[in-house]
Amino acid sequence: MKENVENRKREITYLEAVREAMVQEMRRDPEVFLLGEDVGVYGGAFGVSRGMLEEFGPARVRETPISEAAIAGAATGAALMGMRPIAEIMFMDFITISMNQLVNQAAKIHFMFGGKASIPLVVRTPAGSGTGAAAQHCQSLEALFMNVPGIKVVTPSTPYDVKGLLVASIRDNNPVIFVEHKLLYRTKGSVPEEPYAIPLGKAEVKREGHDLTVVAYSIMVPRALEAAEQLSTEGIQLEVVDARCLKPLDKETIVQSVCKTGRVLIVHEAPVTGGVGGELAAVIADSEAFDFLDAPIRRLAGRDVPIPYNRTLERAAVPQVEDIVAAARALAREGR
Amino acid sequence: MVREVIMPKVDMVMDEGTFVEWLKEEGEHVKKGEPLFIILTDKANIEIEAPADGILSGVKAQPGDVIPVTDVIAHILEPGEELPAGVKAKPTVAPRADVSGDTGAAPAPPTVGGSEPGTGKVRATPVARRLAAEMGIDLARVTGRGPRGRIHKADVLAFADRQQVAIHPTEVARAAAPVLEVPLPDARKKEVVPLTGPRKIIADRMTYSAFTAPHISLSLRVDMSEAARLRARLIQPLEEKTGQRLSFTAILARAVATVLPRHPYLNASLNGEEIILWDDVHLGIATSVEDYLIVPVIREAQDKNLEQIVAELGDLAERARTRRLTPGEMTGSTFTISNLGMFDIESFTAIVNPPESAILAVGKIVDTPVGEGDGIVLRPTMSLTVCVDHRIVDGATAARFLAELKTTLENPYLLI
Repeated sequence: MKENVENRKREITYLEAVREAMVQEMRRDPEVFLLGEDVGVYGGAFGVSRGMLEEFGPARVRETPISEAAIAGAATGAALMGMRPIAEIMFMDFITISMNQLVNQAAKIHFMFGGKASIPLVVRTPAGSGTGAAAQHCQSLEALFMNVPGIKVVTPSTPYDVKGLLVASIRDNNPVIFVEHKLLYRTKGSVPEEPYAIPLGKAEVKREGHDLTVVAYSIMVPRALEAAEQLSTEGIQLEVVDARCLKPLDKETIVQSVCKTGRVLIVHEAPVTGGVGGELAAVIADSEAFDFLDAPIRRLAGRDVPIPYNRTLERAAVPQVEDIVAAARALAREGR
Repeated sequence: MVREVIMPKVDMVMDEGTFVEWLKEEGEHVKKGEPLFIILTDKANIEIEAPADGILSGVKAQPGDVIPVTDVIAHILEPGEELPAGVKAKPTVAPRADVSGDTGAAPAPPTVGGSEPGTGKVRATPVARRLAAEMGIDLARVTGRGPRGRIHKADVLAFADRQQVAIHPTEVARAAAPVLEVPLPDARKKEVVPLTGPRKIIADRMTYSAFTAPHISLSLRVDMSEAARLRARLIQPLEEKTGQRLSFTAILARAVATVLPRHPYLNASLNGEEIILWDDVHLGIATSVEDYLIVPVIREAQDKNLEQIVAELGDLAERARTRRLTPGEMTGSTFTISNLGMFDIESFTAIVNPPESAILAVGKIVDTPVGEGDGIVLRPTMSLTVCVDHRIVDGATAARFLAELKTTLENPYLLI
């Protein structure tokens, strides 16, 4: 009992939670293995897989050539043969090189062969700006995959969620793009030691409020929560819904929240045009929440620019806490 | 000083007048009190006098024009003065509102923010539309406070709130209280409270009354010794019967309901060219609920005994506090009693609640030195002030009412 209490209180980082999920799943299921650039001796570009080579050996923690197409192709082939690969793409920007394997093969095989095969593949990849890594190492390309049937897209925001969602993704029989945010790696939170799975396609209300719903995911969830904290001192109560999984999308939780508040601000880091926000806005407008809307559905998202190297410009290119505060305040007050 | 010449309101139900002719010409010198122009109301041609000495300038009204009351139709200037810059005709206020009507609906505001000029379309949020449809509210009549006049949920609810109270601010009342062109003080704002709902209705009605009914007020003090004795005797039996405590307001209500039928002009309404003398005494009891005023009504109070009044008053007051009164219970009074004694107010005057002709302002009961025989004794006395619309109630008429009310309260056993 005492152990359990301590266990619940245990705080680890988002990065450690990712590693713990992989390690526990690899111990549980011999078909699960990790492949990627520098994931072995070096422990991965961000150190996520540090120590794993020592435990599982080079057969299950596989170093690959610098070819994302090869990583995705090898992972797809292994999955086709019944294994459960976790492929790490060092920066999400490089996932573009693996697109043919992921979009035209991994996403399609199950359907084109009458369900005879499935592709239980997870592509883990760090995304997002804030590290001064410039335009080719800072992108958030999740929207590309939302438009590909057959692929799931998961975007966790907390250490607890990232562990449970990664476990669920590894156990899922479909290709999953698992988007980790670089700035979240060092955030800490309470994470149980024992393995657990959070079902894919379930959003979570991270904070309850009645004036305005903020739908966010990944790094924008902690920013929205901080904005909510600030605005609560002004008497504006934000409800923060963490979408957690973009595909399948938990429309019900989002729509319910908007029905309750009548106003919604969608926040994401990826560029606004053609982004996830447009899809979310359409889902809300097309639901029973329409009749409860008391203000336009608004998006606060990244600017339509390549992420600049200059730190000031980099910061200005994506929503920060103060931007969320300002946008939410204006929307909450409109017509009131 | 530049003086405005306006279309006057010469009749309670007058919203606009037809201009007949000028009796002076542009540029002519006029004297205050001289006939200046003629208008035609529903009933008659009326000569209107010049409001000031000076030179008639900026004449706008032409024979045959139909002009809303209070619209400026000319200016009177002193020698050397010029017309104010940018003087233009006010926008015409179109909808015709019925002051005495009892439809329970507020008339359309002069401009409706939510509508797109020329398109007939209303700018409103989905929830505002749904609520309006559910509540049977025409969005074209709702003023939107959102960006570009967009109607939000709060606007529909505020509109519904106004309707529910079923008191109707009128165009005339609006026109009678134009926004003053006076600069606001340069001070930090604590809050800006929109003038909506009950507050707006109170503002409209009080402005209407203050600017149309010339008020006079008469006061006297009543010795409440016997009334206090009566109350002490009856408080327990009445509480057993009704569950309500006998208040001085209840005794006063019973006294007014008894006396008022013998003074019909204080229980009357001026309606155009008619004075309606009411047979029923529908007694309004002004009640402060949170930050606004409502007036629950004891209907046909002349036929109710003290016990009935105590029971009804207690029930109305309780439901007023919990906001569970129906619109019908808050409208239609023929006379109002306003008692501020509980706030230690010793005496005050009030504004007649239209379309009534009189209101009774009641102060605190105070122990007062009174001469008796050769000595001075302390007696509980209470100030009563009756404020009346002098158009239909003269001073002596009001005085007779007040005197009889005093006699009755000082010998209250006739009330049982």
